[in-house]
Amino acid sequence: MIHWKIGTAALLSAALAAGSAAFLAATPLLAQEAVKLELWSRQDPSGPLRSGNVVKAAERLNKELEAEGSPKRVEVAVRESPAKGFDDDALQLLKVFGIGEGPDIFIAAHEWICAFQEDGFVLKLDDYIAKYPQHFGTIFPSLWSSAKCPDGTYAIPQDAEARMFFYNKKLLREAGYDAAFVDAMPERALSGDLTMDEVLEIAKQVVDKTKAQYGVLHRPNKGPDYIMVFNAYGNDFVDPATGKLLLERDKLAAAFGWFERGVKEKVIPANNTAMEFDALRKEFYTGNAAFWMYGIWDLGSVAFPTYGLPQDEKAFFADWGWITGPAPQKGGAPVSLTHPIVYAIAADTKEPELAVRLLGHASAVDLNTDHAVTTTHLGIKPEQLEEPRYAKAWPLARATELLKITKFLPNNSQFGELNGIIFAGIQGIESGRLSAEQAADFVIEEASATLEDVTVK
Amino acid sequence: MTTITDELAIERRGRAGSVARRRTNFVIFLGPAIVLTVLFFVVPVIIDIAVSFTDLSRSLRISEFTTEQYEKVFRTDRRLSQVIGLTFIYVFGTLAIFNVTFGLILAITTTAIRNVSGSFFRGVWLLPRMSPSVLYILLWLWAVSPTEAGLVNQVLMQAFGLDAPLDLLTSAPIALIIISNGFIGASMGMIIFTAAIRGIPEHLFHAAAVDGAGTLAKVRFITLPALRWPISFVTIYQTLSLLVSFEYILLLTKGGPFYDTTVYALYVYRRAFESGQYGYGAALALFLIVIGVVVALIGWRFFDMERLLQRPRIEVH
Repeated sequence: MIHWKIGTAALLSAALAAGSAAFLAATPLLAQEAVKLELWSRQDPSGPLRSGNVVKAAERLNKELEAEGSPKRVEVAVRESPAKGFDDDALQLLKVFGIGEGPDIFIAAHEWICAFQEDGFVLKLDDYIAKYPQHFGTIFPSLWSSAKCPDGTYAIPQDAEARMFFYNKKLLREAGYDAAFVDAMPERALSGDLTMDEVLEIAKQVVDKTKAQYGVLHRPNKGPDYIMVFNAYGNDFVDPATGKLLLERDKLAAAFGWFERGVKEKVIPANNTAMEFDALRKEFYTGNAAFWMYGIWDLGSVAFPTYGLPQDEKAFFADWGWITGPAPQKGGAPVSLTHPIVYAIAADTKEPELAVRLLGHASAVDLNTDHAVTTTHLGIKPEQLEEPRYAKAWPLARATELLKITKFLPNNSQFGELNGIIFAGIQGIESGRLSAEQAADFVIEEASATLEDVTVK
Repeated sequence: MTTITDELAIERRGRAGSVARRRTNFVIFLGPAIVLTVLFFVVPVIIDIAVSFTDLSRSLRISEFTTEQYEKVFRTDRRLSQVIGLTFIYVFGTLAIFNVTFGLILAITTTAIRNVSGSFFRGVWLLPRMSPSVLYILLWLWAVSPTEAGLVNQVLMQAFGLDAPLDLLTSAPIALIIISNGFIGASMGMIIFTAAIRGIPEHLFHAAAVDGAGTLAKVRFITLPALRWPISFVTIYQTLSLLVSFEYILLLTKGGPFYDTTVYALYVYRRAFESGQYGYGAALALFLIVIGVVVALIGWRFFDMERLLQRPRIEVH
C-alpha cells in the first residue's frame, strides 16, 4: 500500500514537474501573436518568385521581430489568381476589393496602380518609404515613377524588363542579307537609322525567299508590347499638362498603318490575334518567323528551357538577336518599353507597418536577384549589378542597354481599358475589318463613349 | 336523423376541407416552381433593372443613380446596330438551316429507315449535345485550325489538292458559329419531330399508299401537317435559346475577329465582364429580356400556341 502511494506520488510529482516545465517553455510561444498577411498574386510561370520572395521575406522579418522582442510573427498566405494576364488579374482584383474581400498585399502591373488608388483600395507609401531607407533607399529613381499616382507613391517596384523585337539572324541571312547587315541591325535601330517600315521590308524578304511562313509576330492578347509601335509613332496617350488620356487621331492612324501594311504585305498574319501564345512562340523559336515582338524575360522563361536556344552569349548572338522598336522614319527616335511589376498594400490592411517591412525584405538584393536571374527580369537596385550571378546573366546586362530609351505605359487609371480598345483596333485591322483610318476613329469613338475625360486631337 | 341544415353544414365542411386540400396541393405542386421562377427569373430581372440605373463599374461600387447607361445605348454606342444585325443573321440562320429544317430532315429520314439504323443515326446526332461544351468546341478548334494539322485542311489539302491551308476562323466566322451551334440545335428538333411522327396513326400512311401517294406526297400531306405544332414549339423555344446563349461562340471565336461574331448576348458579356462596365451591361441585358419576352409573345400569337396547350378533347365512342 505504502509502495503504491509512494509510486503514485512520484509519478504525480514527475508529471507536475514536466507539465510546469512545458508550460514555462511554452509561455513565450503562447504570448506570440500571429499576424496573417494575405498576398494576392497571379499564377505566372514567368515570375514565381514575385510571391515566393514575399514568403521567404516573412522568415527574415520574423527574425527581426524576435530580435526586437516583439510578440508579433508574420505568416504569409498566398492567394493565387488564375487570370491569363495582368489586365484580367487587375479587373478581377478590383472586384474582390469592391466586395470587401481584398488581400493585404497584392502584385500588379504598374499601369493599374492608379485605378486602385482612385477607388481608395491602396495604401499611400511615401512616409513608409522614407522611414525605411535600408529597404527602399537605393531602388532606381526611374522605377519609382512607375509606382506614382498624381498625389504620391502607391507601390514598390518589384522588377523591370525591356521589350524589343527579337529576330532570327539565320532566316535573314537565308533571305539574302549579309552577316554584316544582320549584325549591325541593333546598332542601326538604336541610332534611329533602321525604320519601322524597313523591318516590314526585311520580314517580307524572309517570307518571300525562305521557307519561313511569318514575318512579324506579336502577342495575341491585350498587353504592353504593341504599345511600342504606338510610342514610335508619337502616341504617348496622356496629356502631360493635365494627366488626362490623350488620343491624337493622326498619330494613332500612323501606328495602325504599320500593322495595316504588315498584313497587306503578308508579313503579319491576319489571324495573329486568334493564335495561342505558345503557338506564336513555337513559330518564332523553331524558325518559322523572322521577328517576334516581346520581352527579354521570354529568353529565360521559354526560349532557353523549352526551345533549347543557346544559353551561351556568343552562341546565342550567332543566330539570334534583338533590336529596339525602330524609329518611324530615318533619324527619328527608337523606342523600347519597360513594364515594371509592383507590390502594393491594401489601404485597409490592419498591419500596414508590418506589410511595408515585409515587402522591404522581399526587395532585398539577394532575393530580387534570385527572381531576376531565374526569369530574366531586370533588377531594381544598383547593388544587384555587382552580384556575380546577375553579372553572369548576360541577357540582363545586354537588355539594360535599352533602358536609355525606354518608356513606361502611362500610370492613368483608365489606361488598362484604353489598351483593350487599342487591341480591338489592331484585331480589326489584321482581320481586314478596318483600315488604319477607321481603326483610329474606332479607338476615338469607343474611348470617348466608354471612358471619362478623354482629350481628342 | 339529419336535418337539411346539418347536411348543409357537412357540405360546407366538406367544401372547406376541399379548399384547404386545394391550397395544400397548390403549395406542394406549384410552390417549388414558383420559388425557383421568382429566385432565378424575377429577382435577377429586378436586380438587373436596378443595376442598369447605376454607375456600377469595375470595382463594383455605386456612386450615383443615373440614366446615363440608357443614353449610351441610344446615343453613343456605335457598335450596337452591327451587333443587332449579326444577332438576327445568327438566330435566323441557325434556326432556318439547322434547328428546324435539318432537325426535320433528320427526323423524317431516320423514321423512314429501319428502326435500328434510325436509332443509330439519331444517337450520332445527339453526340454534340451530350458532349461538354468545352470538349465539343476543342474538337471544332482542331477541325478548323488554320494550320495544315486542322481536320478540314487535311481533307482539303490531301483529298482535293488545296495548296495553302484555309483559315476559316478569320474568313468565315459567322458560318462557323451557325454550323457549330446548329449541329447541337438540330438534335432537339430531331427528337421532338421523331416523337411526333411516331404519334401519327400508321393507318393513315397505309390509306395514302392505297390511294397511290408516293413518299413525298405522304410527307407533304400527312407528316408535315401533323408536325405543325412541334415545329412552332421548336421555333419559339430555340429562338429564345439562341438569343441568350453565347458560350459556344465565346469558346470558338471569342466574339471575333474584331466584333464579327459578337452576338447581342456576348456583347452584353464583353461590355460587363471584359470592360468592367456592369451598369451598361445591365442596361443592355434589360433589352435582351424585353426582346425575349416580346419574341415569346409574338411566337405564342403567331403560332397559335394556345391551341397546342389546351386540354385534349377525349373522343367518346
